Amino acid sequence: MTDALRFEWMRIRTLRSTYWLIGLALMLSAAVALIFGLATRSDPIDVVTIGRALTAGGDFGVPFPAIFMAIVGIFATGHEYRHNTIQPTLTAIPQRSRLLAAKVIVVAVTAAIVAVVSIFLCWGVFMIARGESVSLGDAPLPEALAGYVIYTVLWAILGLALAQLFRGVPSAIVVIFVFPFIVETVIVGLSFIPALDWLQPVLKFLPFSAGSRLFAFEDFPTGEDQPNFDFLDRWASGGVFALLVAIILAIGWVLFQKKDA
Amino acid sequence: MITVHGLRKRYGDKVAVDDLTFDVRPGVVTGFLGPNGAGKSTTMRLMLDLDHGDGETRFDGKRFRDIRDPMREIGAVLEAKSFHPTRTARNHLRMLAAANRIPISRVDEVFDIVGLTEVKSKKPKGFSLGMAQRLGLAQALLGDPAVLILDEPANGLDPHGIHWLRDVLKALAGQGRTVFVSSHLLAEMSLMADELVVIGRGKMIDNGSVASFVGRFTQATVLVRSPGAESFADTLRREGAVVESLPDGALMVSGAGASAIGELAHRTGVVLHELAPQSASLEQAFMSATGASEEFVAHELAEMADGDGAAGTSEPGSDQPGTTAPGGAA
Repeated sequence: MTDALRFEWMRIRTLRSTYWLIGLALMLSAAVALIFGLATRSDPIDVVTIGRALTAGGDFGVPFPAIFMAIVGIFATGHEYRHNTIQPTLTAIPQRSRLLAAKVIVVAVTAAIVAVVSIFLCWGVFMIARGESVSLGDAPLPEALAGYVIYTVLWAILGLALAQLFRGVPSAIVVIFVFPFIVETVIVGLSFIPALDWLQPVLKFLPFSAGSRLFAFEDFPTGEDQPNFDFLDRWASGGVFALLVAIILAIGWVLFQKKDA
Repeated sequence: MITVHGLRKRYGDKVAVDDLTFDVRPGVVTGFLGPNGAGKSTTMRLMLDLDHGDGETRFDGKRFRDIRDPMREIGAVLEAKSFHPTRTARNHLRMLAAANRIPISRVDEVFDIVGLTEVKSKKPKGFSLGMAQRLGLAQALLGDPAVLILDEPANGLDPHGIHWLRDVLKALAGQGRTVFVSSHLLAEMSLMADELVVIGRGKMIDNGSVASFVGRFTQATVLVRSPGAESFADTLRREGAVVESLPDGALMVSGAGASAIGELAHRTGVVLHELAPQSASLEQAFMSATGASEEFVAHELAEMADGDGAAGTSEPGSDQPGTTAPGGAA
């Protein structure tokens, strides 16, 4: 297993795109944190503003580290098929489970480190922009930031799992972007139509939307005029997303074992 | 020593590899020959556990998946361009070396062996097919393995490169390694290999020395040019040979050896301008082999019997094997 890990570590760090993608994730995050800090300079600080700054506006869509680390994950498995390297790889490491486990571990650890670094980078930039020190200790920040790291790791593993399932890069990229940005958005949109309001209880099980509750800084608005989304709590929502990732990874894993390389 | 037993693979209804059993001995270069689509690559993939099928391959008694650090025992290259285009050649090999605890110094060594030292820090996306083949060979040699399995390693090499590859493979075999090399070109294989495993349509056709195999195929046809081609064609046909007239007036004769034809011409007073045994192209031979492997073998035997019938009366010293089949049946 250590050999497979050594191989994967060497693989990820001899790939130029790894540095590009991590660099982009960090730079874009820091840029958003800077804008946030400057734009809210005269406003009193609250926990939601801090959270948004530290996750680089992540709750507006999908955070940069999640997106870019998903692509790093897609490349981990997809490149093997795109560039025919699966043959030399498997003749060096014939134990396919060991190889895939090493890929998951290296990609997950990389994603976790990038998420943590991006939080602290954004924190620093945000404090410089506001010209004051900002505490990370107020609830729910510690939980939300831990959730943010987990969320980023799950996206990275999802990318890896999809590219393993499809045995290639393009289809995995299409699926990982079309689903959260188009399919789920459309379903949420449809649920606002009165005739389709029966969709609302289902929304909490939309995996990508549920996953983003992992780093929520406030409870979902409730009240008479609000749709009845009835989201699960932070960790249960995260569980829904994690379940999706686990299922896709399991299918990809079984097919990798069973099918010809 | 590689022991292959009962290898079989089917894709739906199509049988790609049909019950192949053979040994690959150390110390010689064993060529794995067959036309495109014969199942050579599939066989090699089965041997390396890349594809799942029936049968078993053992390397000195061990199954591939049970070998720790497999690159140190088996060096395999199945596709010429199996590298990431922007990872430098050196990093590509360092990555594979890391998987099998091969020292980094060995990476530079193998670049020297294959003559790629100058470009080892370059991105391989600009590599020609020949350079990619050399990188592949470097990859196979990385673990200093006792067994080499190479799929079409001469593909894309220039004549100089093929010559070099032959010398390298011969030298590696001379060191006592087991070398198993596939090709669809007989000429290439006759340069490189000592032993042959020949397959067609996934089935075993021949397994033995190169000399015996080449001999079997080069006696098949003879090109004859003569001013009296038309009448000589009839003479040949009466003797039981199969004669085909080419558009340029030459005759393509099968079923009689060059010596038999020459003597027949002498006896009948025909002037010959050319009498040239043709190396039957392997591709042609395999067309019939892949059409129906059994039929192909029977055909060969019948032709040899005919040849014997044509030459037997005047050429008692003929080295063609005697058979019990009646001659002149054509």
